Amino acid sequence: MSDIISHAMSAGLNRRDAMKLATSGVAASSLSGWLPVLANAETRLTSKAKACIVLWMDGGPSHKDTFDLKPDSEGAGEFKPISTSATGVAISEHLPKLAKQMHRIALLRGMSTLEGAHPRAKYMLHTGYREGQGGIQYPALGSIVSSEVGRPEFPIPSFVSIGNRSYTSAYLGPRHQPLVVADPSLGVANLKSSLEGNQFDARVSLLENMEAGFRREYPIGAGLDHQVNYQRAVTMMKSREAAAFDLSKEPDNMHELYGSSKFGKGCLLARRLVETGVKFVEVNLGGWDTHLDNFERVKKLSGTIDQPASALLDDLAARGMLDSTLVIWMGDFGRTPKINTRGEKPGRDHFPRAWTSWMAGGGVKGGRVIGRTDKQGGTVEDRPIAVIDFMATVCTLMGIDPTKQIQTPIGRPIRLVDKGHKLIEVC
Amino acid sequence: MKRVIGVSAILVLASQAMAWPEKSPDSAKQTTVSLQSAAALARAVDKAVAAKCQESGIALSPQTTDAEFLRRVHLDLVGHIPTLERTRSFLASTEPDKRAKLVDELLASSDYGQHMADIWQALLLSKNSVARRLDTEVFVDWLAESFNKNQSWDNLVREIITAKGAQDKNPATTFWLSQVSVDNMTDTVCKVFLGVQLQCAQCHNHPFTGWKQDEYWGLAAFFLNVKAAPPGNKQTTSPVVSEGKFVRKKNNALPESAKVLPPKYFGGPVAKVGSSSEIRPVLADWLCADTNPYLARSMVNRLWAQMFSRGLVHPIDNIHDGNPASHPELLEDLTRRFKDGKYDVKAFLRGLCLSETYQRSSKPVEGNKDAVVDSYARMPMKVLTPEQLYDSLLLVLGSPERGAKARKADTTPVKGAKGPRAQFVAFFSGEEGADATEYQVGIPQALQLMNATRTNAPGIAVKLTGGATDPAKALESLYLATLNRKPTSSELAMARDHSKKASNARQAASDVLWALINSSEFTTNH
Repeated sequence: MSDIISHAMSAGLNRRDAMKLATSGVAASSLSGWLPVLANAETRLTSKAKACIVLWMDGGPSHKDTFDLKPDSEGAGEFKPISTSATGVAISEHLPKLAKQMHRIALLRGMSTLEGAHPRAKYMLHTGYREGQGGIQYPALGSIVSSEVGRPEFPIPSFVSIGNRSYTSAYLGPRHQPLVVADPSLGVANLKSSLEGNQFDARVSLLENMEAGFRREYPIGAGLDHQVNYQRAVTMMKSREAAAFDLSKEPDNMHELYGSSKFGKGCLLARRLVETGVKFVEVNLGGWDTHLDNFERVKKLSGTIDQPASALLDDLAARGMLDSTLVIWMGDFGRTPKINTRGEKPGRDHFPRAWTSWMAGGGVKGGRVIGRTDKQGGTVEDRPIAVIDFMATVCTLMGIDPTKQIQTPIGRPIRLVDKGHKLIEVC
Repeated sequence: MKRVIGVSAILVLASQAMAWPEKSPDSAKQTTVSLQSAAALARAVDKAVAAKCQESGIALSPQTTDAEFLRRVHLDLVGHIPTLERTRSFLASTEPDKRAKLVDELLASSDYGQHMADIWQALLLSKNSVARRLDTEVFVDWLAESFNKNQSWDNLVREIITAKGAQDKNPATTFWLSQVSVDNMTDTVCKVFLGVQLQCAQCHNHPFTGWKQDEYWGLAAFFLNVKAAPPGNKQTTSPVVSEGKFVRKKNNALPESAKVLPPKYFGGPVAKVGSSSEIRPVLADWLCADTNPYLARSMVNRLWAQMFSRGLVHPIDNIHDGNPASHPELLEDLTRRFKDGKYDVKAFLRGLCLSETYQRSSKPVEGNKDAVVDSYARMPMKVLTPEQLYDSLLLVLGSPERGAKARKADTTPVKGAKGPRAQFVAFFSGEEGADATEYQVGIPQALQLMNATRTNAPGIAVKLTGGATDPAKALESLYLATLNRKPTSSELAMARDHSKKASNARQAASDVLWALINSSEFTTNH
């Protein structure tokens, strides 16, 4: 490899990143006057988490039928609460294995957000900003994590999304885009060359010779960035770390533990990736938009998550990784406390005002409930959690300053998390 | 493959395209005027750029070779590299004015409108969850047609600003249908037509420019009565844009920071509007008036950026007193010429293409190695946009078909993007508003280019060589088809060395083609 590329790679930066770093440094000092940094509330959190796994429940899971049951309320539904490994905490009878994990989990029953339509809610829960706010695009949380704590020399992307497209890195640039794995059983698209023998290596060496010639004539940024990117891609193809995408390398007992569902395989892949050094993994499970036939579907979906999510927590704990891996379970929003009877079978509709998510590991103290909804599960009575509180908490647990300002390409200073947050007391 | 147009046909097409007043009594005379004004525009550009370089002691790079010019002007005007046939014929031609003729040929090609539509649909349509459900094809086709018939820019803008009715009857309404809120409409109009970034002033007075929040909400007032019905999930009728008083509900409420003010021209007085009349036409009158300082200047800056990678004012949509142009007098001069030429976009681009500044090599020379990019002492090197990369790869690799047809080829609803071209573009798109010289592609994209079936198809290289048995001839074809130049002697030697390692000639040709389309030279517009 040529000196100039290896130098850029060993420095862990491409030219673009270096330039960004320089401009943001300048900006931070010159702008400190006009956007006062709000002093944060007293909540003190640890910053132990080195990686984060988000179990994204696409469509918005019904809080009243999963983690915030209201047995005596109007629209209580059919499910019975069961006791858990955390004293005084009850969850749905269809989550028996997660019930045994509750000592590791902090339930956040006071989620209270503003967006009630799927795309806008997903955007907000992924980026922390309202879609279209201030006329720019915002980066996904995974991209923020990749940009702030990802190791630049790491041979695979620091942000991987399994089963869905997730959201983009926006002004943080292409280096922090999610690597999307559509099917965990298949791994990364085009990771292997179809060529036989050493033909691929021969081609790469021909390409490198061509590039050296071009670089002599045009010693200009974009060409160098292109070459660095190809070098990274080839490095990834040949890296030990890329084997993390290959689930066949897991022993049978692990496949049994996580189960054979796509979501289960996604959780297993997430663990492999985090073990290898990936910083942020999102595992998607769709189907939670239960306007119709809520109870049958939530029962089935509960069955889909119960085993793999429990397996993930057990497995991380057994490997001594739980304390440094933040696991989050969340979706678009909750669902109406009342039951709709529009269809043949009862359903529940979108409900952002009060819902539940949970966190475990990564320094989060489990076995407790933060926030409380009223008798109906329709209003947050204690400790409402806004999206910015949630985002700032995740950032802080991962050692990222949520108040940090980033300079966008057009020179606007944007905070990683919008101002006004209050950290959630999860530690 | 692109149709190769005969020279006489080119001249006819070109002269039609050059006649800018629509009902000219004497189009031949107008053509002459247009040619003269294009040459004058080119001279004005060269004078201003050379003067500033001289002042700063910066050396100018020499003019491009024919091969460099051919590839560059194709990418900039029609959005793809030249075909193998066109490359051969252009390089072989000894006509003294072949560059000017090529510019006219490209401006008259329907791919010009397609390329302009690619650029402008991205600017005009907001990307949000509502817009994803819109049929944007009709809008792209309409834009392509408008650019191809060289509709004057002020008229095109007026059609967009005042658009109403059903989308299938009036595709220009798509602009409004994609803007989900009043602040969204205000931001886009500011950015795209005025060339200013006003979003900051939505919530607070602008920190750098002195623009007050009232300026924002005064402009926003023009759009308060625009009712753009977003398409529903299962809607079968075409969505409609109308204007009139309506009740705001929660789903189209104004943001908390909103101020209700009378309509006011940006940087100007309060508008006089009747109580019952539609008010967007009033805004269009102001925007398209000869005295309006924004519309022409903003377009000139954008067209400059299309050719030179960045605006004379940079960032491109951030024109304000605190952010002066690199060549302030030139920007004023070009704006006046654009207005005098009746907002003729093709004539303006022709002028830029004919300038020595545009035709300058991007290779640095002694005396401009460290020159700032906006000195234009050498041409800034641009990275191919996803659309340019896709269309260029298709030219080399063959079907599926290019352009409009490719977009419609696949009607299967795929999340977000319809058809293989849209899929590719979505996958390769970088951040919004990124610098055209910045490389935006990541690892997954490089993996696709290296390892996908299409870029490894074994038969293509042999087909491109036309069955040439002489290895040097075969290699020349591969270089001409991809980099649009002949290989150097050291490149010939390099390929010969490589083919010794390959098991046969067919494999060696595939390897070279693979390396060529994955190279930085292919990926950039230099």
